[in-house]
Amino acid sequence: MLASGACTTTAVVPAFELPPDSAQRRAAETRLFETRDANELLSASAAVLQDLGFHVEESVRELGFLRAAKERSAREHGQEIWRAVALILSFGKLLMPIALEQKIAATVVARPADAAGTRWEVRVAFYRVVWDGDGKSGDDYLAAGEQSMQVVRDPAIYQQFFAKLSKAVFLEAYTL
Amino acid sequence: MTRTRAVATVLLALLLAACEAPKPGPDILAPTEEQTKVRSYQTRTFDIAERQVAMRAVLGVLQDLGFIVERANEPLGLITAARFAEPNYNDIVAVTVTVRAVTAGQTMIRVNAIHNNRPVVEPEPYQRFFAALEKSLLLTRS
Repeated sequence: MLASGACTTTAVVPAFELPPDSAQRRAAETRLFETRDANELLSASAAVLQDLGFHVEESVRELGFLRAAKERSAREHGQEIWRAVALILSFGKLLMPIALEQKIAATVVARPADAAGTRWEVRVAFYRVVWDGDGKSGDDYLAAGEQSMQVVRDPAIYQQFFAKLSKAVFLEAYTL
Repeated sequence: MTRTRAVATVLLALLLAACEAPKPGPDILAPTEEQTKVRSYQTRTFDIAERQVAMRAVLGVLQDLGFIVERANEPLGLITAARFAEPNYNDIVAVTVTVRAVTAGQTMIRVNAIHNNRPVVEPEPYQRFFAALEKSLLLTRS
């Protein structure tokens, strides 16, 4: 019984289900540009991301796809304070792992909004992956390197990106 | 005394045998019935003439589903994407999509999903993916 219990893995079916707020997210992440020049849109997007400190990791012109990233420290004072409080409250037993490094990345996809290709939509998604440092719980050592991912939901970030992009291509960015 | 020792030896041999790594069978690369079934869930043919249109639709769906597109190769029709399986942020779902022309005017799309290191073999996730893709294709065409 125990042996068979150890062998069964919990089957978690990944949901390929559209999140309920997918239309809202799509609207926040997408802008329309009245242009035929998709290459210009893409290279301007790359330039804007470069201005923001990103480096381009992948680009596919035929599909209008671009992925860029930057790595930064994820250390915050708040975390250090919580770590110290937890350490004191647990009489030195719990040393919480804190976020050390983060990778902030963006994917850009430009695609034609109509069959004639006179309007193009640009969709950008920002996300970050955070790596935790090590810690200790009682006598157990917690290894470093635990990851977590967050998609950036703050609409202001997306507005900023599109404001810069629209300036770079001298075109107005329309919302969906 | 000798008997105890013999029993101990046998027990030790048994324990060691349990430690041996399982050997792969001779049919490790042979297709099984299960694989054929899974492939049928993972594959669907669409009435799309251009590979680019199909690939752009796949990119759109992956973005809608919250995936991060990692790599794309247009001439080969390959797209790789991944996401952390919310709400458990430590689990990763990775997908590879291949887009291939079957006949003139028809394109075959195949999706392979992996949850951590386990291939997804259930039909439901794939059905949901293709349902979302159909919706996206409608949007792209209109």
